[in-house]
Parts: sequence; structure tokens; C-alpha cells
Amino acid sequence: MVMKCEEIREVMPDLASGLMAMTPEIGGHLADCGACAGKMEEFRRTMALLDEWKAPEPSPYFDVRLQARLREEMAKPQAGWATWFRRPVLAAALTVLMGIGVGLFFTKGGGIYSPGNNVVADSEVQAEPGTAVSDLQALEKNHDLYSDFDLLDDLEVQRDVVANP
Amino acid sequence: MATASPRPANGLQPAFIGGENFTDAEVMLRVRAGDESAFDFLVQKYRRPLVNFMYRMARNTAVAEDLAQEVFLRVYRSRQTYEASAKFTTWLYRIATNLAVNHARDTRHERPEVTVSLDEPDEETGTTLDVADGTVTVEESLVRRERMLAIRSRVEALPERQKLAVIMHKYQEMDYKQIADVLKLSESATKSLLFRAYETLREQLREFV
Ligand SMILES: [Zn+2]
Repeated sequence: MVMKCEEIREVMPDLASGLMAMTPEIGGHLADCGACAGKMEEFRRTMALLDEWKAPEPSPYFDVRLQARLREEMAKPQAGWATWFRRPVLAAALTVLMGIGVGLFFTKGGGIYSPGNNVVADSEVQAEPGTAVSDLQALEKNHDLYSDFDLLDDLEVQRDVVANP
Repeated sequence: MATASPRPANGLQPAFIGGENFTDAEVMLRVRAGDESAFDFLVQKYRRPLVNFMYRMARNTAVAEDLAQEVFLRVYRSRQTYEASAKFTTWLYRIATNLAVNHARDTRHERPEVTVSLDEPDEETGTTLDVADGTVTVEESLVRRERMLAIRSRVEALPERQKLAVIMHKYQEMDYKQIADVLKLSESATKSLLFRAYETLREQLREFV
């Protein structure tokens, strides 16, 4: 089977960055197809240029700091009430519940409480299923609580092509 | 049933011997069973790639290290719910990607344009100025630095998903399949995403090649 230009171009990023080895089939196509050969050369140059962007090594403090943060983490009681009460989201959830209670008390059933615009900004909290927390979070219907997990899904609606002028 | 062994008083963990003979998923299951040296093994294995990844996403070394630490903390916190069904690196980079994207969104109004003075310390860019050791002239060093900053700003200017794909492909050396899994895309969509991204970069970096 003769490879099409399109198939060759698809693998050019891998070929040019050395993630994929040149095969005789691809080599043969490049030898015969000037357009693909030219494109391949451009890819190689772009890759070489991108190599110039170096990233620094982790600093000596990285491990020290990480160990300290881990020790802190390990010292925490696992999913204990005391820990969870300190969490801002839980505090917010409780506030909402109290708000509902207070609201009901003052309006004597006449008011409508809408928790929909209660913005919870904490991105740290991940619900652990089967804990008291997840129960409380199930009570808290605020969508923002969960939006953090959906960032990647969110990215999927991004229009990648259009954004490139 | 094995339970977590208490940490030695000096805070050092016993080495996780032979970790390289296990898959990361197997090591993670040891972490789940309470083996802290197994977790340390993963930290040692992935600290550098993760700091690099975060550096390229956040372009600041202090922030990059903080975010990379946060990834490890989340891995540790999630050890009880970890299931070996997903490839460990996919899971790791999904956590990292979420954090990086989230950070970028939280700080997008604070981020200054790339304004760089040429005598800025190399801390922010990760370049080394070789002028001091006499291997290059000041002019060469400035040209090199300018190129580096141009490359960085062009990569940063890519749409978010393209940027993520390029950083994972070019700098983390992940293959199409892995990147596709992290970004929840098909492999062919990932290929075309990368192709478009590199085409854009080639176009925009024309003056430097
Ligand atoms: Zn061709």
C-alpha cells in the first residue's frame, strides 16, 4: 500500500521530534514527494527551535517543601469532622443550610430561597464518596462545587482552529 | 493484611527497593496499601517532569513548584480511591492539567504581558546566560535569549488545548495515545490538534528558523 501525503503529514510531529522512527515506507515517500519532504524539513527546524526553550530543574527546596506538606497531610485525621469543618466549601454549605433555616424562620414560608448564585471558589476540595462530606455536598446543589472537575470537558468546546488567526 | 508502617523518627522512609520492576499502577497500589516508600518512589520519578510541565504552563518557577507539589498531594489524598484501570501517567497528567488550567484561569487577569528586560535573571526563563564563562559573547547571548522568549510567547499564545498538547508532546515526550487520553480526545483528533499547533508555531517562528 502506498502511503498518502495526508498519512505522512499526520506523523510528522512524531517523526520530527524523534518519538517515531523513520520507516522505509515513509522514507520512500519523502524521497519521491517534494511537498512532503519540504514540510518535513520545516517540521524538523521548528522542533529544533522549540528545543531552545529550556525548563529549570526543581530547586533544592522542592523536596523539603513537599515533604513538609506531605507530613502536614498525613497528620490530618482522615475525613474527620474537625478537618471537614475547616473546609470553606463545607462552611459555605452549612451557611446555605443555616440561611435556608433563617430564611424560612423570617419569611414563615412566604420567601423563596435561591442558592443558585452562591459562588464557591475553593478549588481544593474533592468529595470523597461515601463520607459524611459527600452527603453534605449532595445537599448542596451548587453547581460551582463540581465545576472544577469538568475543566477538561470544558476545554473541549473551545474552538481551537478559529482562535488562530 | 499489611497496614501502614510507622515512619521512622528521623522522617526518612525506607527505600522502596526494586520499584522500577513494577508498573506505576502497581506502585500506586502499594501506596494505597499504606507503603509510603512507594509514594516516595513516584515522587522521585515524576518530580522533574511535573515541575517542567508546570513551569511551561505557569512560566514561573515558584508557582510551578507549588503546583507540582499540589499534584503529588492530590495523588496522595486520592490513594484510597485509586483504581489501576487508568494508566497512572494519564491520571497524573489529568490532575496536573486540571490544576494548571485552573491556575491560568484564576490568574489570567494578573498575568502581565511578556515584558522582559534583557538583563533579567535567568530564573524566570530557565535559560542560562553563558556570558560569564566566556563561551558566548554578550550579543550572542542576547540574541539567543530573544529567540527563547519568542518561542515561549508563541507557545503560550496557542489556544489552551493546543498548548497543552504541544507541551505534553514536545517537552514531556508523550505519545499521541497518552495525550489523547489526558485531553479526552480521540487519537486522530489529537494528531490533527498537534499538527495545527505545530503549523501555527512554524508560521509564527518563521523569522527564527
Ligand atoms: Zn507527499
